Amino acid sequence: MSEHDDDHHHPAPLSPVEVRALALEELLKKKGVIQEGFIDAVVSAYENDIGPMNGARVVARAWVDPAYKARLLANGTAAIAELGFGGPEGEHLVVIENTPTVHNAVVCTLCSCYPWPVLGLPPNWYKSPPYRARMVREPRVLLREMGLDLPGSVEIRVWDSSAEIRYMVLPERPGGTEGKSEEELAALVTRDSMIGTARL
Amino acid sequence: MTTRVDAAVTAMTGPAAPPRRNGELVFDAPWQGRAFGMAVGVVERLGLEWKVFQERLIAAIAAHPEAPYYDCWVAALERLVLDYGAATAEEMDAARETVRETSE
Repeated sequence: MSEHDDDHHHPAPLSPVEVRALALEELLKKKGVIQEGFIDAVVSAYENDIGPMNGARVVARAWVDPAYKARLLANGTAAIAELGFGGPEGEHLVVIENTPTVHNAVVCTLCSCYPWPVLGLPPNWYKSPPYRARMVREPRVLLREMGLDLPGSVEIRVWDSSAEIRYMVLPERPGGTEGKSEEELAALVTRDSMIGTARL
Repeated sequence: MTTRVDAAVTAMTGPAAPPRRNGELVFDAPWQGRAFGMAVGVVERLGLEWKVFQERLIAAIAAHPEAPYYDCWVAALERLVLDYGAATAEEMDAARETVRETSE
């Protein structure tokens, strides 16, 4: 973020590395190595798909394997590591379970702490000040605005992530999925359901 | 997108790992995010293993330990493009010249 307000209408000249990056991008497009839109798609995939896939596998395993689910709720970090996920930002992962009467949602009021190894890059709204403030102040209203209208009988619990503890929601297994394989179940799990701004 | 490359990208650790803050990849400027996506794209489109890029990134960082991370990233990607014949040094020079002219 530039602090030089005077410069707003006079963009700084491109730095040497920017020139090189831009030149490389133009060249690769011209040579057909990279198509227009491809880079945007990659960046977007890292934000939306790559990480959440890991979390979805964790959720699907918990749905089909009660012993795994028990381990997951007892020690999220260890149970998630069993599936090969983890890393620098995956320490102290706590998984909280949705039930018919309790809905959990995750926020980071201070910044944007997020369980990166299981959920990938956080969506932009997760980092936005309104989400961070309102999820604490008026979660029911905010969730409704985000498309999740919970009955008044369902208690909403909001979990504030920090550098020490990252939360992930274990959504309820949707009805009518008894015959599905673990892999099919994983495909049903969305990123937002693991943040708690959606149900399945 | 191939899961193989993505898994390799997300598993990068040590000095060659992309900067993160609270687990997020940190891009100080949009061009860094595009350079990130460009490397993933080039590796996939050329059908290479991610380690082919990673080795060059490690070498670029070792050659200029004081340089900003994404400067090394771009240098590594240029090296890869040259090494695998996706473009020539002359083409790169010409493309840079074009960018300089049009950005003035």
